[in-house]
Amino acid sequence: MHNQDFPQLASVEKIEQGFESHGYICSRKIATAVFLAFQLRKPVLVEGPPGVGKTELAKTLALLLDTPLIRLQCYEGLDEAKALYEWKYGKQLLYTQVLKEKLGDLLQGAQSLADSVAKLHQFGDIFYSEEFLEPRPLLKAMQQEKGAILLIDEVDKSDYEFESLLLEILSDYQISIPEIGTVKARTAPMVFLTSNNTRDISDALKRRCLHLYIPFPTVELEERIVLSRVPGIDENLRHQLVAFVHSLRELDLKKAPAISETIDWARSLLLLHAEHLEEELVRSTLNVLLKYEEDIDATDAELRALVKGNTTTGHAG
Amino acid sequence: MQSNLVDFIQVLRTHEVRISPAETLDAMEVARRLGYANRTLLRDGLAMTLAKTPEEEVIFLHCFDRFFQQDLSNFSVPEAPPASEAEPGSSPELDAAAQAAQFSAAQVAALQLAAENNATLQSLLQTPLMQNLLGNDRTELTLAMNQAAERVGLQEIQMFTQKGQFTRRILDAMGEEQIRNAVIALEQDESPALPVLQRYRDTLREQVRDYVEREYLLHAEGKNRQFMDEILSKTRLNNIEHLYLHKVHELIRKMAKKLASRHSRRRKLLKRGRLDMAKTLRKGIPHDGVMFNTYWRQVKKEKPQILAVCDVSGSVAAYAKFLLLFLYSLQDILPKVRSFAFSSHLGEVSAYFADHPVEKAIELVNWKYGGATDYGNSLLDFANLALDDINSNTTVIILGDARNNNGDPKLDIMQSIYQRARQVIWLNPEARRAWGSGDSEMLRYQSACHFSAECNNLKQLERIVDQLLKSSR
Repeated sequence: MHNQDFPQLASVEKIEQGFESHGYICSRKIATAVFLAFQLRKPVLVEGPPGVGKTELAKTLALLLDTPLIRLQCYEGLDEAKALYEWKYGKQLLYTQVLKEKLGDLLQGAQSLADSVAKLHQFGDIFYSEEFLEPRPLLKAMQQEKGAILLIDEVDKSDYEFESLLLEILSDYQISIPEIGTVKARTAPMVFLTSNNTRDISDALKRRCLHLYIPFPTVELEERIVLSRVPGIDENLRHQLVAFVHSLRELDLKKAPAISETIDWARSLLLLHAEHLEEELVRSTLNVLLKYEEDIDATDAELRALVKGNTTTGHAG
Repeated sequence: MQSNLVDFIQVLRTHEVRISPAETLDAMEVARRLGYANRTLLRDGLAMTLAKTPEEEVIFLHCFDRFFQQDLSNFSVPEAPPASEAEPGSSPELDAAAQAAQFSAAQVAALQLAAENNATLQSLLQTPLMQNLLGNDRTELTLAMNQAAERVGLQEIQMFTQKGQFTRRILDAMGEEQIRNAVIALEQDESPALPVLQRYRDTLREQVRDYVEREYLLHAEGKNRQFMDEILSKTRLNNIEHLYLHKVHELIRKMAKKLASRHSRRRKLLKRGRLDMAKTLRKGIPHDGVMFNTYWRQVKKEKPQILAVCDVSGSVAAYAKFLLLFLYSLQDILPKVRSFAFSSHLGEVSAYFADHPVEKAIELVNWKYGGATDYGNSLLDFANLALDDINSNTTVIILGDARNNNGDPKLDIMQSIYQRARQVIWLNPEARRAWGSGDSEMLRYQSACHFSAECNNLKQLERIVDQLLKSSR
């Protein structure tokens, strides 16, 4: 990936434009991270609250560069057999059964037991060759001829042991398979790890990555995002709804609405043919934005003030 | 610029951002690729390699702004001289001159006039320092100041008490001595130019003082904090003053977090391991040796459970606060900790810790369970509450001084806990030689513990808990 020349990644501005053309409005910081990741051959650890576009970043980059996206979803209990590779045990066993008869032919002419063992040795470790190797996402990413975007999603959900497993891949782009040897990446993939911060990622892993924290966007940025994702929406309504979402984020909520929720809400308002925010309208569609009953209850009480405050600022803006 | 970057990283390190040499190299590479022209771009780029948590990023931004602050110091002499400096000997012409637009020129003229009668002043006016001051050449002066600071090793500054000393050394290195001499000479002559020169001297001093102040904040603030943490963690807990309590709280949180992240790996009951060849072969026998199904070795993992019992009676009141604080932090992070508190009777306090902020929780616990100690009774309560839950995965930590007011120690209960639990650990704030003296039952209880230790400062506490968590695997 890194030894190729991608005009799309030539400069920070180019990256920004490229992402925008694929409908991903990114801040300067995100573009800088992508630029550095490509230039320095380093993985990027993307952190931030859910729904700010961490996963989307990798997907869009794959679209932009027109390379395959290989995704590994992490979860508790994920181990190397699911992430790296596995031997096709069934196939190995089946082959040994089928080849049992063949064994007699092969050993014909052997005088002694030592002789037959020596003969067997000549065949090497056929059952532990690439034929019998089942590649899982990480190995698959190493095998891509023209490079790939490797997305290791929600790495914080995996176990500590799994993190250590990643270290070799992230720093040297290679995987050690005891029976075969070291598999080096044909072309080093661009790696993105995402984390929701449910637990601390180990220092060793962090050290190998560029650290990108994506916060909730600013009002201007979010308006641009809504514009690009929901182009049909009235400008005035767009101001209002983004301002409203921002004021919601300032409340003490269990889960603050993220960009994805803003977009969903904008879409629903568009479907309802709304032209501006009204208290009743907001109340009936609040469940698009807030995912917890207690959050909805808490907001309900302040809804009137919030909507009122925002419609006035909305007009002003 | 490269050494500048290294200096900056040094500053970050003193502010508790952990940066490895590898990351330093990365940062250099980033700076090379992004260039120094665009400040925001460079800042974002460096932040990605150097700051690895949102908290560190805040520190980073703060330090970046301070370190790469490009304002030059302003050495221009204030237009109107402050009243305090207006000496009785100052002539009325000088005040008139101060009103004039060509103030600075007049001052130079006044000095030159005086210099004709004074050899010291004459030679002073020839020095580059004085030339720069007169011309208000900020670039040159700032440069000279930075060089002087480097010569005297200002970056080594550690304590605020050193600020005066460094200011003086920098002034000396810049050649301020000559100004001082000239001032003395002018004083002897009672020359009208004296206040003019004095003002130049004061301006210079003020700027250097500000500069040292800035550098101190940058370099020493972090070191001081580390120093403080170090001292606090070694002080006996009951000697720590109330003033520092909130600091200690933070320290304990840090420790507990460190311990927890090292030990609180989430455990799964079963893990798919390697192929179990023997079982696969055996299960293949009914199918005429054809191995249809594969079987796997299963790895069992244990979930350790921790029961912490804390004495909150009067005799250990000073310690109890910290022990509770530690428990609170630990429970905040490790999910499987149950906490109990006792003095004359015992009760579970996990719920308090879970529901209330730390100060409130500790207050509640003290209020509910404080009083005279009765270990026997408390152990009985503990047995009723939790004995059934103690199994070979349980670690029991008891924090207390084992001073039982000559009551029945109920050693048998202690022994039954000892037999059931994987580990019983007793942490005693008293020095080991005091164990068993007076009404202390420590020696007896010790016989029913896997491990007992003296524990009266945070360092010890950390070490012991670390050990205990390690062996509780």
